[in-house]
Amino acid sequence: MNNINLFYVPMNKLKTTTVGVYIHRELNKEDVSKNAILPHILKQGSKLCKTPEAVSKYLENLYGAVLKAGVVKFGDDQVLRFEAETISDKYAPNKEPLTYDLVKFILSVIFEPMTENGGFIKSVVDIEKNNLKTRILSEMNDKRTYAMHRCIEEMCKGEPYALSANGTIDEVDKLNEKNLYEYYKEAIVSSVIDIYVCGDADADKLQALIDETVANIEFKEAKITKTNLHISDAEPKNVTEKMDVTQGKLAIGFRTGILPSDKDYFALMVFNSLFGAGAHSKLFNNVREKLSLAYYASSAIVKAKGVMVVNAGIEFENYQKAYDETLVQLEEIKKGNISELEYQSSIQSIINSLTAYSDLPEQLHNFMASERVYGTNYDIDYVKNEILKVTTDDISRVAQGITLDTVYFLKGKEE
Amino acid sequence: MELQYKKNDATGEELYYGTHSSGLRIFIIPKKGYSNNYAIFGTRYGSVDSEFIVPGDDKVTKVPDGIAHYLEHKMFDQPDNSNVFDKFSKYGANANAFTSFNMTAYLFSATANIEENVATLLDYVQSPYFTDDTVSKEQGIIGQEIRMYDDNGGWKVFFNLLNCLYHNHPVKKEIAGTVESIAKITPELLYNCYNTFYNLSNMAIVIVGDVNPEKMKGIIEANIKKNEPFSEEIKRIYAKSEPNEVVQQYIEKSLSVSTPLFMIGYKDIDTGYTGKALLKKSIEIKILLGMLFGKSSTVYKKLYNSGLINQNFGTDYTMQPDYAFTAIEGESKDPKAVYKIITDEIDRVLNEGLSEDDYNRMKKVLWGKHIRSQNDVDEIGTEFIQLHLMGVDYFDYYDVYSQITFEDIKNRFKNHFVNERSALSVVNPITN
Repeated sequence: MNNINLFYVPMNKLKTTTVGVYIHRELNKEDVSKNAILPHILKQGSKLCKTPEAVSKYLENLYGAVLKAGVVKFGDDQVLRFEAETISDKYAPNKEPLTYDLVKFILSVIFEPMTENGGFIKSVVDIEKNNLKTRILSEMNDKRTYAMHRCIEEMCKGEPYALSANGTIDEVDKLNEKNLYEYYKEAIVSSVIDIYVCGDADADKLQALIDETVANIEFKEAKITKTNLHISDAEPKNVTEKMDVTQGKLAIGFRTGILPSDKDYFALMVFNSLFGAGAHSKLFNNVREKLSLAYYASSAIVKAKGVMVVNAGIEFENYQKAYDETLVQLEEIKKGNISELEYQSSIQSIINSLTAYSDLPEQLHNFMASERVYGTNYDIDYVKNEILKVTTDDISRVAQGITLDTVYFLKGKEE
Repeated sequence: MELQYKKNDATGEELYYGTHSSGLRIFIIPKKGYSNNYAIFGTRYGSVDSEFIVPGDDKVTKVPDGIAHYLEHKMFDQPDNSNVFDKFSKYGANANAFTSFNMTAYLFSATANIEENVATLLDYVQSPYFTDDTVSKEQGIIGQEIRMYDDNGGWKVFFNLLNCLYHNHPVKKEIAGTVESIAKITPELLYNCYNTFYNLSNMAIVIVGDVNPEKMKGIIEANIKKNEPFSEEIKRIYAKSEPNEVVQQYIEKSLSVSTPLFMIGYKDIDTGYTGKALLKKSIEIKILLGMLFGKSSTVYKKLYNSGLINQNFGTDYTMQPDYAFTAIEGESKDPKAVYKIITDEIDRVLNEGLSEDDYNRMKKVLWGKHIRSQNDVDEIGTEFIQLHLMGVDYFDYYDVYSQITFEDIKNRFKNHFVNERSALSVVNPITN
């Protein structure tokens, strides 16, 4: 018995084969930084390629195959993710088995790490600790993303989802080559590990390779963490922060009350498209085009958590105008003021994105992985079908259930 | 118009192409089995084109900086007061546009209604409509776009580097202009630029997807409006002269960032190429960048192990016929130490030579990159038109790549990596 699931999606029209590995962990304060650092340590060397230089040369010899390591949050599920891509075997100039060699390498990275004195390599851990700290501090560099993260952090205070996927400096400081290796040994046998291969590969051969690699590992029962809906009956909260910036960043957080498993989930997706996801949306056409307040004004939903964040970059003094207009547009949808063009465009925009997934391996495995996390396991055709059934009444009903939670504003120091 | 056909046997890529009597060049790249389609309609007109002579004119026209980008925004307004996004949205397309140093492009991707969407794309880009009201409305929106970049460390470190490398060339100016320069833009100026640079003989369209080339040709032809192709070139005045020397070798600025950002540039003075020669130079430099600073290089190992760089380290080469430069960027607690290690490495290689093993490996890497770039319809279309507008045929890649030798790489190294023509740009955190 093992916890590894291989999903093969044939995409023969592509010239490459893409591999996505998702190691599912629970998001919590104690482990968040351990999870965040592990992919970066593992990527630095394994039994197959012992040093970072050997790793790089191995990938370069596979015609520059790419391997990215990182960590993401799907609700309260924290995922250690490896994403790799190689040109497919049929385009290998000398008929090399590129996909097989790439998967072999990834498996070695995950299951056969380099160790010394019963721990990871100390010098590697020290470098990656510093790099992780830099990443944590760098979260403020992109002010648009930062404002959205801060808004979510304030909204979900006290819930795991408030944690950054990188964790905190304090947690990183506690890490060393020994305690990380202990954590790794436990994590690797007690996590659901999903491997997606999209492109052109011999799935049976890859399955055999996986089975062979982990034959001597004893796995424990594992499951994917379920996420709790963000609920609250508190009054809306206002948070203002000051930095040396020339443009203000407004982030308005709302509770949607809807999880992917709810029947109104599809209506929520269409609502979000109509409200703020694209050039057809109410926020784009009013906050930007009608009032010229912003270059971007959009909304995004965190599906797993029942949260929506509107964000816009504005002049500091236009805070009230942009805030008011956002709530006016939400009110319009609640009242059912939805034109036929807005309605059709919102539906078509989602259908277009979903259809395009069949050309885009990274988006496709990301979609499949999130469906696994939500526990819904919908396929693309099912979602498309349900989206097409959503009516303007459904959209208004969903809008009526959306409540203001937190208003975050980042502004300049001089005023 | 008859479409011509060619195929690259090494990659299997196919191309249908032709030039319409209006002067518009048409390229169709079929991708069997794809769901997504991509079309990009572009003009050879970008932020560097602020001074020019209109064909048939004898005097120089000078326009405010940022006007090409401003014009791009205003193309979305239609004579009947509608917004062209509405039409694309109705047909489920995702439409966008961008302005770079040397081109402006209008594009969409869509999984359905490809014919309607191509017709819409051709129609709106050929329908300028500028009034005092619509032009002034955009000041606020673009003003916020400029402000957004003002707070962006990665953007500032880049333009500061260009200001170190270039004395006169307009590539050093920000694409969107400044709040002051865009305030001078009027409908008359926009029409003047439009009528010059949006002449179809200065433009090209590329369509990529599972399409029928003959059918696409028919739709394009049916939607081309009356156009008299220019019989002579638009004369572009970039810089009276650009010295070989850099302006200065160091620049710094403070912004709200956590760790210093750096960008090191090498000014390429071996310019004036187009076609295969330009493509060859760019492949040579990309191979060199991999050999010198790639993840398996000595320098990378040294920098990474001493904590001077992190995973956000990378290299890039930007080229046009009349200017080109290499950029090496990253985050570092000590950018000056990084600069020293890199320039020392250039000196070392100059004395000790390049490794042929590294060359062979990097040549493989470049081939993989080329094949990978053919996966995505957006990526192929954008790459194709960018190269086309600088006089390079994307389909020449295989031939040019195959002919490159280690000798070429050694010569290119000596020609390009000259420390006197390098500079370091740094964005430091604000310290209070």
